Amino acid sequence: MLDELRQTCRRLLQDGAVQAVIGYGRASPDDPVVPIFVTKPEEVDRLVWDDHCFANLTKYLSRKEVLSLGKLAICVKGCDERALLVLEKESQIDRSQITVIGLACDGVGQPRLPKCESCDVHTPRRADVAIGKATAPDDAAAGKRYAELEEFLKKTPEQRMAYWKAELARCIKCYACRQVCPMCYCRQCIVDKNRPVSISTSATLKGNFAWHINRAFHLAGRCVGCDECTRACPAGIDLRLLNLSMAKAAEDGFGYRPGMDPNAEPIIGAYSQQDHEEFIR
Amino acid sequence: MSELLAKKDILRLVEQWLAAGRRVAGPRCVNANAQHRQTDLINYAWLTKADELKLDGFIRPTNSIKDFVFPRHEKLYGYQFKGKQIELVPAELPTAEQIVIGARPCDAAALAILDAVFNWDFKDEFYNRRRELTTVVTVACAKYDDFCFCTSVGDGPCDPRGSDVLLIPMDGDRYEVRCLTEKGKKLLAGATATSSETAKEPEGPPVRFDLDAVGKFLAGGYEQPDWPDLARRCLGCGACAYTCPTCHCFDIVDEGSASGGVRVRNWDACQFTMFTAHASGHNPRGDQAQRQRQRIHHKFQIYPEKFGQLLCTGCGNCSRNCPVEMGVLPVLKTIAAKT
Repeated sequence: MLDELRQTCRRLLQDGAVQAVIGYGRASPDDPVVPIFVTKPEEVDRLVWDDHCFANLTKYLSRKEVLSLGKLAICVKGCDERALLVLEKESQIDRSQITVIGLACDGVGQPRLPKCESCDVHTPRRADVAIGKATAPDDAAAGKRYAELEEFLKKTPEQRMAYWKAELARCIKCYACRQVCPMCYCRQCIVDKNRPVSISTSATLKGNFAWHINRAFHLAGRCVGCDECTRACPAGIDLRLLNLSMAKAAEDGFGYRPGMDPNAEPIIGAYSQQDHEEFIR
Repeated sequence: MSELLAKKDILRLVEQWLAAGRRVAGPRCVNANAQHRQTDLINYAWLTKADELKLDGFIRPTNSIKDFVFPRHEKLYGYQFKGKQIELVPAELPTAEQIVIGARPCDAAALAILDAVFNWDFKDEFYNRRRELTTVVTVACAKYDDFCFCTSVGDGPCDPRGSDVLLIPMDGDRYEVRCLTEKGKKLLAGATATSSETAKEPEGPPVRFDLDAVGKFLAGGYEQPDWPDLARRCLGCGACAYTCPTCHCFDIVDEGSASGGVRVRNWDACQFTMFTAHASGHNPRGDQAQRQRQRIHHKFQIYPEKFGQLLCTGCGNCSRNCPVEMGVLPVLKTIAAKT
């Protein structure tokens, strides 16, 4: 599978179809896997693919330091690919200008990340070049998608508030959650607006609640559940729980899962007379 | 001859300090989602009982002890509008003594480095007051990981800078105790046992790059063509700066309403787009390569020129906590290899 990936990228670069491949690589065998940008055919052997390829590389499609490389190919796992579809639907990328290399994935991390345990997109569905074949079944896990959230919701509101207070008290407002998120492409984030200030920049409990609730709202119906925010958080805050809550609301209320169906319009950007309105009171 | 303390006696001391109402902080597990981080999350945090304290069995906490002398959020003063008058309300300076136990040498050394910048043209009374009130008990590192590089920046697992007491691990859950300051002597007076045994000082990680080569590269000027490639994968968050023991940039903001409010200082980080954004819209560090260049130059050229010390202790937190494992070490390894 790795040979196939490297050969594909070598060909793309040699043919001049792309000027750079966004992929995964290591500086040396003992080093961690990191995002790399391969610009020369002779460098494709730097590319790796294994269960330590955590990063959702689609974030780089909104980084000008990467866009400046020219025409791009990008390696995506099934979960990452969902972000591509949302970016396309939100007119952030021109899909026809990007070569998407889909990597079949049986999950990342040892042990597997929580998202992998309920994954139903092991094989990217809309890649230009599909590499590998996932061995894991695609749909069996879908029923467990909201298991952690459902478990959490069994707690009383007081217990849940106590949990979030303890968790968010640790937030240092480094904004790693925002910076890794492919959906956080705003040129100026609402927390950076200071004339006037909309959201307190202080890493106090109040300021942290304001930030994380706003972040969740802005990602409602858009978050694809790649869990990069949760992986990136140096304070170990389980942002996944918030994201699951938004995802469940979108699925229960509108039958919509961001980045799954190319024919479905984004719920935030589309109006339907069949939309539920009972939540407006 | 040396002074020794058994681990159980250290925990007993912590219990006594807590019982006497003293504020004690140290590494403890604050982890909430082990599976996702795939490890326990250990932070320096306030202790409520002695057995929360973790002295060994891990590399180093995810945050740094700067939190206790330079908190992420600090009220500088309050203000109230009284008709057309503005009344200023001074913030109360901290008064409570605090003990940080189980600090790593790379954290403690950072305090000695920060002393310089917080007492340069302006003597920062908040920082200095907290520093006076803090006693730092450091534990020399018996272990290191691939991110540690203290020995590459002139630091090491037994660096005494910034510590009031240095504990060096020995076999049998004992520590050799070196009281380095009056504060340290006072804290442990009568608690240690004299012995003829001494600890073997751990050596720390291998040297990972040539610091002189880094200096030469940086002296080569700002316009090195390597920066865009060096910085490309940086996503521009503040995880490196906020978990760094030496990063000390802050932003001053007013938080208030029509009747008054407070002026506060909050941590800020040079990797954010907004850090150098001008009101005009111009940004002198408009892309990530310029911002990474600034971070490295500040730590390894500007600060040393000004204060005679590197703004880095080699703790490796910047890489450990980076979502894309960047931080200082991979950049320095690459630029050292170029010269």
